[in-house]
Amino acid sequence: MPHKPSVLVVDDEENITRTLQMVFEREGYEVTPAYSSAEAVKILENGHTLDAVITDLNMEQEDIGLEVARVARGLKPPPVVVICTGFANLKNSRRALEMHVDYLVSKPVDIEELTSALRRLIARRQYTTKGPR
Amino acid sequence: MAKTPAPIAAKLALIVHGDMGIISGLQSVFNQNGITTIVARDLPTALLAITQHYFDVGVVSSRIAEEGDGWSVSGVLRLVFPNAFVVVIAPETDVLTLKAAINNGVNEIFDKERSPQEIAQTIVSSVTAPASKRPSRTVQ
Repeated sequence: MPHKPSVLVVDDEENITRTLQMVFEREGYEVTPAYSSAEAVKILENGHTLDAVITDLNMEQEDIGLEVARVARGLKPPPVVVICTGFANLKNSRRALEMHVDYLVSKPVDIEELTSALRRLIARRQYTTKGPR
Repeated sequence: MAKTPAPIAAKLALIVHGDMGIISGLQSVFNQNGITTIVARDLPTALLAITQHYFDVGVVSSRIAEEGDGWSVSGVLRLVFPNAFVVVIAPETDVLTLKAAINNGVNEIFDKERSPQEIAQTIVSSVTAPASKRPSRTVQ
């Protein structure tokens, strides 16, 4: 059976998390939802193998999604990290660039943009970590 | 017997820019540091160069023929050469510029007011530093 890519979706707005879960499950992903950065960090630290993490920025605290991104980037191999926010500013975007976040998408999310970026980034990640097939 | 330093593997840089002053400023520092350069002053030449060479460094203007078209070149460089050090020279560093840099896998953004020698020197330090000491993607 072909490997289902796995994605952790993190947003404190339940309707957004559920919508993204539905969208990505339809796209053939295995989706794990998390409704806070603390829950997401716990999942990441529990050794789940993930292909991608899509996280909101402002949850329990302003810019706390960057902490989710930092923990995700520390995994070996690191999953693709996408930040999804309506509150990008110079400070948080600069920090996202510095920590090698793979993609920054603005809310309201353009689903077509997000699904196509994620597909491309996961394919690139598989190519660079496993080499060409 | 005295130890001879290990030879540094030759590196190749692609410069995609329309300004001859910037090109020559970058080239002089790169050449002094053993980095060979290939220059493209338009999009087709840049894309052709990417198909014909293996680049370790990419320096791209955010504006080649029109505003923002340089971002696509940086994205292609990142896609084709995942380990290359890719920088973009942009007129300003606002949120949209940062977003474009993240989404195209750029390592660093440089303000176009910075001197080309200074930009090249920063790139040389980054690409010649051991991997563990390389700076992360930053805005200069």
